[in-house]
Amino acid sequence: MREMTFVDAAREGLAEEMARDPAIFVVGEGIGVRGGNFNTTVGLYDRYGPERLRDTPISERGFTGICIGAAASGARPVVDFMFIDFLTDAFGDMFNQMSKLQWMSGGRLKMPIVVRGCVGVAPSNAAHHSGNYYPFFMHVPGFRVVMPTTPGDAKGLLKTSIRSDDPVLFLEHKNLLALKGPVPEGEHLVPFGKASVARGGKDVTVVGVAFMVKKALEAAELLAKDGVSVEVIDPRTLAPLDIDTILSSVRKTGRLLVVDEDFAPCGVAAEIAMQVMELGFDDLDAPVKRLNGLSCPAPYSPALMTNLIPTTTTIVQALRDLLAE
Amino acid sequence: MAFEVVMPRLGWNMEEGAVVGWRKKDGDPVTAGEILFEVESDKAVQEVEALESGLLRIPPESPPLGTQVPVGTLLAWLVKPGEEMPSRAAAAPAVAPAAAGMIPAGSRAAEAPRPPEGKRIRISPRARRAASELGVDWALLSSSGSSGRILERDVRQAVAAGTAAPAASARAVRAHEAVPAAGTPSQDVLPISSVRRLTAERMSAGAHTTAPVTLTTEADATDLVRLRGQLKGESAQPAPSYNDLFAKLSAHALLDHPELNARFEGDSIVRSATVNIAIAVDTERGLLAPVVRDVQAKSLRQVAREAADLIERARAGRIHPEELRGGTFTITNLGMYEIDAFTPIINLPECAILGVGRIVAKQVVTDAGAGQVAIRHMVVLSLTFDHRLVDGAPAARLLQKIKRNVEKPYIWLAGA
Repeated sequence: MREMTFVDAAREGLAEEMARDPAIFVVGEGIGVRGGNFNTTVGLYDRYGPERLRDTPISERGFTGICIGAAASGARPVVDFMFIDFLTDAFGDMFNQMSKLQWMSGGRLKMPIVVRGCVGVAPSNAAHHSGNYYPFFMHVPGFRVVMPTTPGDAKGLLKTSIRSDDPVLFLEHKNLLALKGPVPEGEHLVPFGKASVARGGKDVTVVGVAFMVKKALEAAELLAKDGVSVEVIDPRTLAPLDIDTILSSVRKTGRLLVVDEDFAPCGVAAEIAMQVMELGFDDLDAPVKRLNGLSCPAPYSPALMTNLIPTTTTIVQALRDLLAE
Repeated sequence: MAFEVVMPRLGWNMEEGAVVGWRKKDGDPVTAGEILFEVESDKAVQEVEALESGLLRIPPESPPLGTQVPVGTLLAWLVKPGEEMPSRAAAAPAVAPAAAGMIPAGSRAAEAPRPPEGKRIRISPRARRAASELGVDWALLSSSGSSGRILERDVRQAVAAGTAAPAASARAVRAHEAVPAAGTPSQDVLPISSVRRLTAERMSAGAHTTAPVTLTTEADATDLVRLRGQLKGESAQPAPSYNDLFAKLSAHALLDHPELNARFEGDSIVRSATVNIAIAVDTERGLLAPVVRDVQAKSLRQVAREAADLIERARAGRIHPEELRGGTFTITNLGMYEIDAFTPIINLPECAILGVGRIVAKQVVTDAGAGQVAIRHMVVLSLTFDHRLVDGAPAARLLQKIKRNVEKPYIWLAGA
């Protein structure tokens, strides 16, 4: 299969969907002629023009609100936030309108809207450009939270997101954008709520979130040299969450580590650990363990970046500790 | 100070009970939570554990095993090292058993085992489930992990190494009790009798804590049938039954193969010099296996007399608990129900059990070369043995020896 980067694969998915359905359009800052800060729309302006690739002023709440209205009226907007941190300016309309209109209208209104943007800690991106925020959206009824970690899934999940009639948060980790991998040509849809077992193993289970899947795979590779067999699970979508795949892995291994660079309190690991306790208590041979980023805004200083988020080394150590329990 | 050990009240209506066995010897150190002795009352045998720690001292006036005594009777003392047993006169009058440092082990089987010396035993949910499935008493295990929590691997390793103790209480039974049984009118909900509970516990331990392998072979019992016919014709009563004959034949085979006349005791394998054969008896109360002792040294008539007496008393509910213990090998016979072969469960702590099928006339090839067949009485023998104690070849040799003894039932008369 041909290989391409994560960002190119996602863009191919977007282009295919735009060709298929004229109701799809993209709004955001610099996504027109410029092709997006992260090249999310490069080349699309030339094909679909300014009507469907609308550059906006720096007014997140304004263009998000307009897109909510457009989605309720039958269009299928893709709102490109570039950095997902800027979404916080549109919180009010996202929580009060985007997530609720379908429920409040008894299902007569649909909300086929994709909110996309980059997440994650990257070198000196600092406090305003490093956020993750996905636990907020897992918490609220109505949002789909989609988090691909491979180029193939980026294309397949973006296409599924655009076709969804529910609001979708499509989150791309900055450290994964340049990752290369096989991507199917043409129609390729990855369903929501279906985790992927990124690496099979039998001694311990790791659920990684976003970039941490890649780090967990590196840790698993290192531990394999010592004869430790680590199973790595990539949930792919956090809402809906495929707890069954996690449970069946824990049934096998008896031990679970959740690695997430986001803050620990009320986070993804807290939710997964709770569900595993409720549904798989008797399968556990040790308490569920989590490894998170430090609970503080990301610093600018490179010196302060050390140990800010889990690394291959700290994941290996956490797994060794868990296996020694 | 010294703690009294008295006959506990194990049920609301229990007035008296008998100590049927001490799990500790006079002078042994005892830790709170350990099983101290077994009490039989209302035909149930229950384990009683110590709540206090100390050295066990059993005074001479302690009631003999099997003797019914009133609740509250002084049985023993738990003393500090160097401390003397209080004299009988100084002993306080009988106290309420609940305050006497003991609780029946079965009464809290579903809870976490009481921590010795106030320390909580920790176990992972997964390990607890494995222990319950394997019928292992996890309170006796230790953790291999840094958390101090007993892990699944600790349970499985103990079972593999043969160091696991069967669940002291009827945990296996309780797991079934937990399934809601009441509700639909088409079901009968029966209380579990004491014999049923003990059988469940022991069968479960025999099936799950051993490494059972069953060997089967078919023996030509024509001469055995003839011998039994002749014995029946004699006037002396009772005439030896097939079970008596199998007991005698097996005892002599076991003398040649002592590795199967053995049991685990702590870290060692103990081979018994005598052959004590337990005979499985179906009674109204359930399965009982009274033991005929020293079968190798007794005449067939003697074995027949003792077995008949034991079986009759077992059926009448008058058998002494001691007569149900101490077997080194068990025989179980389902021939009267037209069963040919089966897979008996080892009667712990024994190493092996012989299942006897029906004796049935069959057409058998007696000379393949000459194309000759004959009608012979055949019997299938099923030997289940514990592969932890002994390997397959010695077990097969024992079964082959028993088969030879069946086929030539006069041979053992010649002696070793």
